[in-house]
Amino acid sequence: MENLNQFPRNVSTRREWLRRAGCGFGFLGLTAMLHEHGGLGQLRADGLGARALDPLAPVTPHFEARAKRVIWIFVNGGPSHVDTWDYKPALEKAHGKSIKEFDANFSNTTGFFKDAVGDLMKSPFEFRPRGECGKMVSSLFPHLGEHVDKMAFIHSGFTESNNHSPALFAMNTGLARMGFPCVGSWVTYGLGSECRDLPAFVVMSDPKGRGLPKGSAANWSAGFLPGVFQGTHLRPTGDAIDNLKLPTNLSLKIQREQLDLLKQLNQTHLDQHAAESDLVARIESFELAYRMQSAAPETIDLSSEPAHLQQLYGIDDPRCDHFARQCLMARRFLERGVRFVQIYSGGMENQRSWDGHNDIQGNHQQFADETDRPVAALLTDLEQRGMLNDTLVIWCGEFGRLPIAQLSEKPGRDHNPHCFTAWLAGGGVKPGVSYGESDEIGYKAAVDRVHLNDLHATILHLLGLDHERLTYLYNGRNFRLTDVAGQIIRPILG
Amino acid sequence: MLVLVNSWGLSAPAQTTLSPEQLDFFESKIRPVLIENCYECHSAAAAQSGKLRAELALDTRAGGLAGGESGPAVVPHAIDDSLIISALRYDSFEMPPSGKLPDEVIADFTKWIEMGAPDPRDGDKVIAKKTRVIDLVEGRKFWSFQPLQLTPPAINSAVHPIDQWILKKQLDLGLSLSSPAEPRVLIRRAWFDLLGIPPTPAEMNHWIARLSSGNDAAPMISQPAWSELIDTLLQRPEYGERWARHWMDVVRFAESHGYEQDYDRPNAYHYRDFLIRALNQDLPYDQMVRWQIAGDELQPAEPLAWMATGFLGAGAFPTQLTETEFESARYDELDDMVATTSVAFLGLSIGCARCHDHKFDPIRAEDYYRFAAIFTSAIRSEKTLDLDPATNLLRQKQFDTELQTAQANLTEYGSKKLPVEFLEWLQQTSSDVRMSATWNVLAGEVATLSGSTFNRLEDGSFLAVGAPPLQDVLTFRATPFDGTVRAIRIEALADPNLPNQGPGRAGNGNFALGNFEIIRLDAEGSRKPVSLIEAVASHQQDQSTLSIAASIDDDLISGWAVDGQIGKSQAGVFYLAEPLELRADQRLEMTLTFQHPNAHHCIGRLRVSASAVPRAVPEVGGNGPSQQLLTIFQTLAGQSDLAQGFAALPQFEQQACLDWFRPQSATCSELQKKLDDLNRIGPQLVTAKVQVTSEGLPHLPHHADDRGFPHFYPETYVLRRGDVAQKVSIAGAGFPEVLLSAEREPTELVTPEQTRINSLSSYRRAALANWLTDSQHGAGALVARVMVNRLWQHHIGRGIVATPNDFGESGDRPTHPELLDWLAQELIVNEWKLKPIHKRIMTSDTYLQSNKRTDDPRSKIDPENRWLWHRAPQRLEGEAIRDSLLCVAGQLDSSMYGPGTLDSNMKRRSVYFFIKRSQLIPEMMLFDWPEHLVSIGQRQSTTIAPQALMFMNSPQGRGYAEAFALRIANDNPQESLRQAYELAFGRIPTPQETQLALDFVGRATQQRREQGDSDPKQMAWSDFCQMLLGSNEFIYID
Repeated sequence: MENLNQFPRNVSTRREWLRRAGCGFGFLGLTAMLHEHGGLGQLRADGLGARALDPLAPVTPHFEARAKRVIWIFVNGGPSHVDTWDYKPALEKAHGKSIKEFDANFSNTTGFFKDAVGDLMKSPFEFRPRGECGKMVSSLFPHLGEHVDKMAFIHSGFTESNNHSPALFAMNTGLARMGFPCVGSWVTYGLGSECRDLPAFVVMSDPKGRGLPKGSAANWSAGFLPGVFQGTHLRPTGDAIDNLKLPTNLSLKIQREQLDLLKQLNQTHLDQHAAESDLVARIESFELAYRMQSAAPETIDLSSEPAHLQQLYGIDDPRCDHFARQCLMARRFLERGVRFVQIYSGGMENQRSWDGHNDIQGNHQQFADETDRPVAALLTDLEQRGMLNDTLVIWCGEFGRLPIAQLSEKPGRDHNPHCFTAWLAGGGVKPGVSYGESDEIGYKAAVDRVHLNDLHATILHLLGLDHERLTYLYNGRNFRLTDVAGQIIRPILG
Repeated sequence: MLVLVNSWGLSAPAQTTLSPEQLDFFESKIRPVLIENCYECHSAAAAQSGKLRAELALDTRAGGLAGGESGPAVVPHAIDDSLIISALRYDSFEMPPSGKLPDEVIADFTKWIEMGAPDPRDGDKVIAKKTRVIDLVEGRKFWSFQPLQLTPPAINSAVHPIDQWILKKQLDLGLSLSSPAEPRVLIRRAWFDLLGIPPTPAEMNHWIARLSSGNDAAPMISQPAWSELIDTLLQRPEYGERWARHWMDVVRFAESHGYEQDYDRPNAYHYRDFLIRALNQDLPYDQMVRWQIAGDELQPAEPLAWMATGFLGAGAFPTQLTETEFESARYDELDDMVATTSVAFLGLSIGCARCHDHKFDPIRAEDYYRFAAIFTSAIRSEKTLDLDPATNLLRQKQFDTELQTAQANLTEYGSKKLPVEFLEWLQQTSSDVRMSATWNVLAGEVATLSGSTFNRLEDGSFLAVGAPPLQDVLTFRATPFDGTVRAIRIEALADPNLPNQGPGRAGNGNFALGNFEIIRLDAEGSRKPVSLIEAVASHQQDQSTLSIAASIDDDLISGWAVDGQIGKSQAGVFYLAEPLELRADQRLEMTLTFQHPNAHHCIGRLRVSASAVPRAVPEVGGNGPSQQLLTIFQTLAGQSDLAQGFAALPQFEQQACLDWFRPQSATCSELQKKLDDLNRIGPQLVTAKVQVTSEGLPHLPHHADDRGFPHFYPETYVLRRGDVAQKVSIAGAGFPEVLLSAEREPTELVTPEQTRINSLSSYRRAALANWLTDSQHGAGALVARVMVNRLWQHHIGRGIVATPNDFGESGDRPTHPELLDWLAQELIVNEWKLKPIHKRIMTSDTYLQSNKRTDDPRSKIDPENRWLWHRAPQRLEGEAIRDSLLCVAGQLDSSMYGPGTLDSNMKRRSVYFFIKRSQLIPEMMLFDWPEHLVSIGQRQSTTIAPQALMFMNSPQGRGYAEAFALRIANDNPQESLRQAYELAFGRIPTPQETQLALDFVGRATQQRREQGDSDPKQMAWSDFCQMLLGSNEFIYID
């Protein structure tokens, strides 16, 4: 192959080069070409420009990245911060009191159910110090508690909506409305993918028949970004990805013959078409597709993973088998260069996810049991493979839960948009720290409040992307993931 | 057009004359609180560390007075105007965010403001405050806001007007047009451009012959034939389907609410049908615009105008809302209307001014809210519409005629033939036979224990009126008659006045006859119970406690009920143990007891009859003449001249005879049945429920109604930073000021003077619609520019303005402004008809060009083909790819209109996919289908491996190939191949291609044979066809 550095600047010559390269043309070459052409800076709303030919080609970030890939454990339904990571001794003392004693402005419409507002309720879980940093962790997380020295906690997150789907959209896209690109889409748009025969951005949802997160596919939507940047949802049952299996009536051998024929048909066409680069790209896409047929099933297949590792994740433990498989699969995707993986714990609302309206104790115990061991194993596994350094792990849901009881047969907790806890670990994150505070009872974020834009700015920063420069011009406006705001949370950077 | 004023060093003089008390108050009560709670985010230090919020600094007196983004924080003596007070009170902002300060502290601040905010701190406000001042006079000078500039032809009038401008630029740059493409290429190009499907081989051959002129050495395209071809295609129904789909992208059209529940909007598809019809009819574009915005106001009698209003309500909307989200959800909805309307028609992103003045364009937040206020009361509704009034009128006319005829026939027969038929019957029928009618209705009177009343009806039945009693006992005392009685029948009759049509009075229409007994009253006053041995019913609710047998058991509650056939008349028959020979001085009294514990289970309408026939069956009707009639018959029959005797009867008796006889007459029954059938069927007018956007109609119901979502608020407010908690003032409806001529009042919105046909509506949208399409005094020039640019873009591959949805500052400038304005002018002059514009574009030499050659020197001058010196192949959109696959496979179902489907296997054109926001059609999404959430002016055209997988592996992809292969099956492989190439590419294969194909088919057949496949040859041809469909030539159109 020719020396890419000597690649001529003139576009027409570049097309000539593409033509000459013909079917041997590789995507790395295109990548180089894109960089030379200006990469992201040149993108316009009315087209990805030359990038449309291979929109997922890797792109050099704005500055050196601390993390190269992301795994986001989406704690779906709204995990209760005061029952998980945000230890509130004052809440124990205030147990049974009215929240109005702490906040006269509290309104019954803060949560979702205005007719089930109870008194302040202490956590039913015991907290004890874990790790060297002595972080107080709830009894929900015996395994994850082992890893607190890797995590940076944010205790002062807040959001806008007290309703699942708008809050999910806000957490994923920065806006509580439908139609905007999610973090994973922005990241793949900003960075492309290191892996050409797997999807760049993979989403896994609950495989236990409890449904999709509220708002379903809009949560991994590319919004106004080109559709290629949307998350690929691995179907929990049936074929995980569309069209990877050969149709009945076709064998791999004949398909190979077919593709060889196609190459010749296309070459004849190309000879008459002045080397239009999109034609070349499309020729190559069939070869890539051919490879994807084996790459994706191979990645999803866990049988080659050693038994001890499978056991570490909790495969075959009936409580968490499903999530263990997804976490291990996620690692395999990340290992192969997939940019962004999001796994949703739980499905829809109420007892189908962390949405503990009724019986917060039973609900959170169940979902913690489903995820504690697999996520802990994922951290261990990533660390052992040396991948944790440049893999950003996020544990976060769409909002927190109120410190008061929601009246029901067994006490629950209602939605709380004013405060939630998230933790980040791995690539570029300062380990073993806590940032921000909720008020003494955990009702509202109080100290060093973190807006979603701040969280998103920080995630992009860790990936080497400047949230103010990662823009997409659409219908007359340069859109950003962080809209017009966003402050990087520097104290949690390593 | 934007002037940035950097107001560094905005300063206020320090107060020098503070009293010691004032100073003391500030130092003890105010300054410590500011330092403790505010400086972290509102001070020079905060600014330096990047933590400054809201551009507000409170560490100098000047900073407080100048305020931040939202206005002054401190206004001496004015508590209500001092944002710092409302923020501390948590009324506007909630400051400090960590928690509300104690009431005493807030009281101190209030007092301090009242004192005049004495403050010894000096120094400037240190924050560089950038103030954008939008200069409308400058703004109006921007190119797209200018009137159309009509420039004289650039070259000479013989040259096509479009080519004038293209050639002019090319001459300047040393470029030239490429030669015209060959007819085959042009035909295919035109087919895909206008219809989105390939020509058939027959069409291709026909037009090749028509188009070719000149000779082989200098081939020419026959201009008249080309013009005719374009006209022909523009008349095809597929044109509307193709171009409606382009517009659906622009208006983010979908058929579900989106968000988490994503409920369907099953009647939204009428908007899509409107587009197809409007385009096919070549409805003027200005009218299309007006109807989409305000068809309900402007032309409420026109169904298409209503269908068009689906536009405004096509956006996504969260149907699960909590109370705290109601208002902001409505503002979001207004925002969707503003953003889509302004981008689609004006190419302006007015939506960007929701939170603050537009960053690039001269559009202020007030402009945004004025625009939003136009839609204040516009909501999604459904309206039942007559979509085809002409046909319905015919249907009604035909029905009226048939009805009249049927009525006339019946009347005529009744008055002329029926008396004759009756008298014949009377003559021929013996009195026994006359008597032998199964049931004779008994006259009598009804009394009730509860006092409830019954009205006697003409048919001898009794209908309950007034409020239903909880329980009742009903007594029927029959008028005396003589004859044999073997059974008594109670008919429980359905009636429209009863709940669920009855026959009972219970809420569900049921009754429960707990007990039934008969007493014989003799002349001397003795009461003899009549013994009943059995009871049967036409329908009974069950076989036990709700059966009719239970009405004559000892239990006064159990008894005949009829649930399961509510709304229908029923009959219950009670057989006497012994036949009863009644004398004229004896009477029968029947007691019906309704004591079921369920309320109101009393009978609603009943009729009592007697039968002399043994074991008369329980049926409704079948009544013989009443006792009175029998008497009349008897009298008549005794007379010598029946006709004379009949004529001598009083009129009402004649009528009674005929009324009774009428059902006995076969002819009459038939005529009656005909009339009844007609009335039952009705005129069969076809109407449809259509989703519309309008004012004053019932809202389209959805899930958020459960919590009381109001759907709209009577006023739209100007909001600070787009926050519903920060209302500034009521927004008066109006247009963006920069688009108004300078003389006009900015807030003016003149609702049309024309008659307001739709009295429910405010006509604000009508004002907008008229203004948008007014090319003289409104935004018509811009609207025309934006639209012709869209047409140009789809024909040429790139807009004259390359950003079709952005004609503002950050959009591209037109490459050929004179051409754009000329096209816009053409549109307006041609009464806004789009078809002439298509034709104008397609008859230009610019359009007819061929592809470039590899080594064309012009590539060096203009590699990106900005100046259109050749044609670049266009990748088909997802719809056109799929529709072409169906065409070539011979599977396309060309039926038009109506509800869409989510089924990937449907065979209609892709424009008929149901667009459900959470279940977008995967096959379409692969090829850059929009998410249908926001306006898309130009689709991406990405190339990704999953597209290849669709051709290689999807059941549909393989299915098309197999159908295609069957279509070309032929014993002669050369012939198969020729057909395949003609169908797929509109040409015949070259010898090399033939060789390649036959080699492949041979090899594949061999392999399939080895694999043991059945019909290896046919399968091999499928394998081949699959690759033809997957090839670049199939989806890239020259």
